[in-house]
Amino acid sequence: MQYRSFLGATAAVLLLAPSFSAHATSEPDAAPAPAQKRTAAIHPWYRPRHLMVQTGGGIGMVAAGAGYAFAKNKVETDILLGYVPKKYAGSTLSLASAKLLYSPFTVRLADQWQLKPLTVGVYFSYTHGTINDEERGQYTKDYYWFSTDTRYGPLAGSRLTFLRPGSTEAAPKAVSLYYELGTNDLYAVSYAQNRKGLSFGQILTLAIGVKADF
Amino acid sequence: MLNRFRSFPRLTLLSAVAALSLSGCEMLEFSPNDFRSPDDEKDLTAKNLERLRQQPLPAGDTLRFVFTGDSQRFYDEAKDLVASVNQQPGIQFLVVAGDISDFGMGREMRWVNEHLRKLKVPYVTVVGNHDSVGNGREAYQHIFGPLNYSFVYGDTKFIMVDTNGREANFDGSTPNMSWVRQQLSDLSGARRQIVISHVPPQDADFDPTLTDAYAGALRTTPKLVFEMNGHRHDFGVSQPFNDGVNYVNSYGFEKRAYVILTVWGDKQFRLKQVKF
Repeated sequence: MQYRSFLGATAAVLLLAPSFSAHATSEPDAAPAPAQKRTAAIHPWYRPRHLMVQTGGGIGMVAAGAGYAFAKNKVETDILLGYVPKKYAGSTLSLASAKLLYSPFTVRLADQWQLKPLTVGVYFSYTHGTINDEERGQYTKDYYWFSTDTRYGPLAGSRLTFLRPGSTEAAPKAVSLYYELGTNDLYAVSYAQNRKGLSFGQILTLAIGVKADF
Repeated sequence: MLNRFRSFPRLTLLSAVAALSLSGCEMLEFSPNDFRSPDDEKDLTAKNLERLRQQPLPAGDTLRFVFTGDSQRFYDEAKDLVASVNQQPGIQFLVVAGDISDFGMGREMRWVNEHLRKLKVPYVTVVGNHDSVGNGREAYQHIFGPLNYSFVYGDTKFIMVDTNGREANFDGSTPNMSWVRQQLSDLSGARRQIVISHVPPQDADFDPTLTDAYAGALRTTPKLVFEMNGHRHDFGVSQPFNDGVNYVNSYGFEKRAYVILTVWGDKQFRLKQVKF
């Protein structure tokens, strides 16, 4: 049930996207105004600045969502809903995740191409659909000290961006390809306690995704 | 503003390429519960039993194996244990009495296998309560194999039983007593039997409605040498039900010790503790 509503919400966001972007595309013809103000005027505060879809990173075989950008697009907050089919995890999983990302540098490679060489961030995810996730009364308190469903961890990656015509710094219209290397709290604890028996590469996860600013 | 940072793209690209070439697809983890693994890291029980079949023990020969348990997150210790066991002469295989993982995640099971695959001898496992957390039972079955299984090696039949009753909310299903009785009633051509499970029947995590049935079934099995467990992380041999049935508990990996068991005759055995 919950999973269906996740999907519904995601679909709604994705369907709404074209109308948002059509609105944004028509904007350059409007009367000139300071970029920052203009953006504020045409983008209500609640309108997401970007949509994204990704695979991996521990938050879904496919995870899609929307997010906001702040501080001249250096800081982003993304919300994603992910899905893992039963054949890969033993049960069908739906994951709700949030990311906080910081990309301090932007390198212009060519007229319409940009590179964000470094994105660092943190993520949090909640998994719904796990088979044995500690029912009430099943265990005494702290029998298992960790949560089966709640994960968090650090991320680091890069992003290659193609700027669409009419894109401005204040209101970017762009398509980006990104990757993120990350790990989660439990993998990190295991690595911290086993510097001989585990290598850093063994605890890494990889996410690859596409992000569209509109 | 950007010239200062020209060196960054090269650095990050390099690290990205390095990371991708490490094991790109494997790193694309869908969830910590994602148990996909390369072909050589699944069905490990069947693969290890096949290795055992290729080094048969002639009838009448002495059985000698290493007994340990609860590898959990003790990867440093796993590495040292493998180095130590590989020095032992005359060992036929190694047993891990459950709790291969700590959080029931596939990647953890593979991290342990990453060490144990370097053993000169095959190894077999039984599922533990930590392997049953989250989607752990599914991961265990994918990476290792069945939760209940048995095999004959030389003169001995080994019966590996899932006794993680608390994970089944003590619903009377675990251990599966009809399977246990059927296995105990059949020697499958062997002259003796050894039962191995994770949670010992005298433990609070064993289904209390099945304790008497389980202990009773073992008591009435004439060819049983002993029952073996993990879970308590410490070595011990005792008769908790005062019925003549010996229960042997394994060291956890973090105790940096294991036991070598030598079994011969009908039920004779010797234990040797080894520190590493």
